[in-house]
Amino acid sequence: MKRLFSITLGILTAIGGFVDIGDLVANSETGARFGMRLAWVVVVGVIGICVYAEMCGRVAAVSRRPVFDLVRERLGPRIALVNLIGSYLVTLLTLSAEIGGVALAVELATSVHYLLWVPIAAFVLWVVLWRVKFEIMERVFGLAGLALVVFVVALISLNPPWGDLGRQLTELSPPGGETWATYGFFAVSLFAAALTPYEVFFFSSGGVEEKWTRRDLITSRLNVFVGFPLGGLLSLALMACAAVLFEPVGIRVDSISQTALPVAVALGKLGLAVVILGIFAATFGAALETGLSAGYTIAQYFGWQWGKLVRPREAARFHTVVLVSILLGVAILLTTADPVTVTEISLVFSAVALPLTYLPILVVANDRDYLGDQVNGRVTNALGVTYLVIILVAAVAAIPLMIVTGMGG
Amino acid sequence: MTPDPLRVEFHLLDRQVVDLDGRQVGKVDDLELAVGDDGALRVVAIHIGHHALGLRIGGVVGRTMAAVARRLHTTGDPQPLRIPYEVVKNVGSAVELSVRHELLDTPSLELWLRDNVIGRIPGANHAGE
Repeated sequence: MKRLFSITLGILTAIGGFVDIGDLVANSETGARFGMRLAWVVVVGVIGICVYAEMCGRVAAVSRRPVFDLVRERLGPRIALVNLIGSYLVTLLTLSAEIGGVALAVELATSVHYLLWVPIAAFVLWVVLWRVKFEIMERVFGLAGLALVVFVVALISLNPPWGDLGRQLTELSPPGGETWATYGFFAVSLFAAALTPYEVFFFSSGGVEEKWTRRDLITSRLNVFVGFPLGGLLSLALMACAAVLFEPVGIRVDSISQTALPVAVALGKLGLAVVILGIFAATFGAALETGLSAGYTIAQYFGWQWGKLVRPREAARFHTVVLVSILLGVAILLTTADPVTVTEISLVFSAVALPLTYLPILVVANDRDYLGDQVNGRVTNALGVTYLVIILVAAVAAIPLMIVTGMGG
Repeated sequence: MTPDPLRVEFHLLDRQVVDLDGRQVGKVDDLELAVGDDGALRVVAIHIGHHALGLRIGGVVGRTMAAVARRLHTTGDPQPLRIPYEVVKNVGSAVELSVRHELLDTPSLELWLRDNVIGRIPGANHAGE
């Protein structure tokens, strides 16, 4: 039981990172348009985030320094500032979208328009960030997010043609009706969604907040190797549900209610209730994650006191940034911008901010001053460098693909 | 401790400064150097402050940062927090001081936000765990 609770940070980080509002729609949309032909990207992304989250968990446990400390130390204040601006904007847009996602989940349950729920959702979010202890927060929302396992149950009870799905897995080309450009655009979006920078900011800062030491290296690794693959599994189940239900009839997915539809079809009302709870917990968890990350990045760049361990009045600048970010997030939503579009845009920009976040992690994970005997081994370094190359390719391709395909068409 | 074997740029600048209890004090935004009797440069003090950082970065970005820091300063005359190098206990993954943060000046932006914004919200004194 204690072990189960000790991995809730990883589960919350992964569920918030993998199945937040953007991914809920993006995975379904990809499933509906490409079947399982892009599932390999999710697998590649899961391995990538595991490699890098393990590194920053190790850095956090051994040296007690979160990721953004390293970014400024290793890249210098100028380049780190570029990263700060990029990462902050991505995190802010995502935060905004997640607040919208919470409101949309409540709309699914109540049929009251989501814009009316936005201010309430934002206020509750702020109260949780202000008052609730880090551990309770991560347990409640990490575990409630597990309700999304209902997508796996739904997939099995839909009794899909497993053979066809398996064949699509190995087909590394777009299906008829889709071009290589849209295939590339969705591949980059899915990859960026798996490695969004706020995941490592949140995970490493969470490790520091939980006062990880060398003895917690096992906890850190358990978190990484259980949490992230679980997040990946849920996104694959989402994708497969859409591939089974929507792809054969050519239905396009562009709203959260369509994402939930396969579960309702397979499991009826009870399934729908569980899926709404899951979507609520996942988007709320992601909102907590991005809200805190917005504060973490700025506070860690400037060296301010941050975190939930000290009294808020002793981390006044940090709490002000969190509060202002939530207000800005609400303001973006109240322009009636579609939350799903907001995340899709933020994913493309996050692809661009990725290299500046992951390079310093790789550098520091090799520094004996920080890690002593816990520096990277050869395999980790080989994987780390390979992923850095993939990340660079994705970063270079992101914006041209967005323009060529008009956001995926 | 002697700073001589340190590479200032690599080991000192931009590192996190923490106090005796591990509280975050700030970053090493700038350094004060002096020439010793033997003609060698020595680190005399650490400077912490966004204005100091802006001046160090220089260029349009640095000037903007310094200007913003000046605007956000309550008296409009931001002086960096100066920490004499004698109180530096250890330079590791962070720069550890041998004093508590209460003994150091609190940055004016933090003070202003504490008194006028965050401190006024109910529960501001409630510690997490």
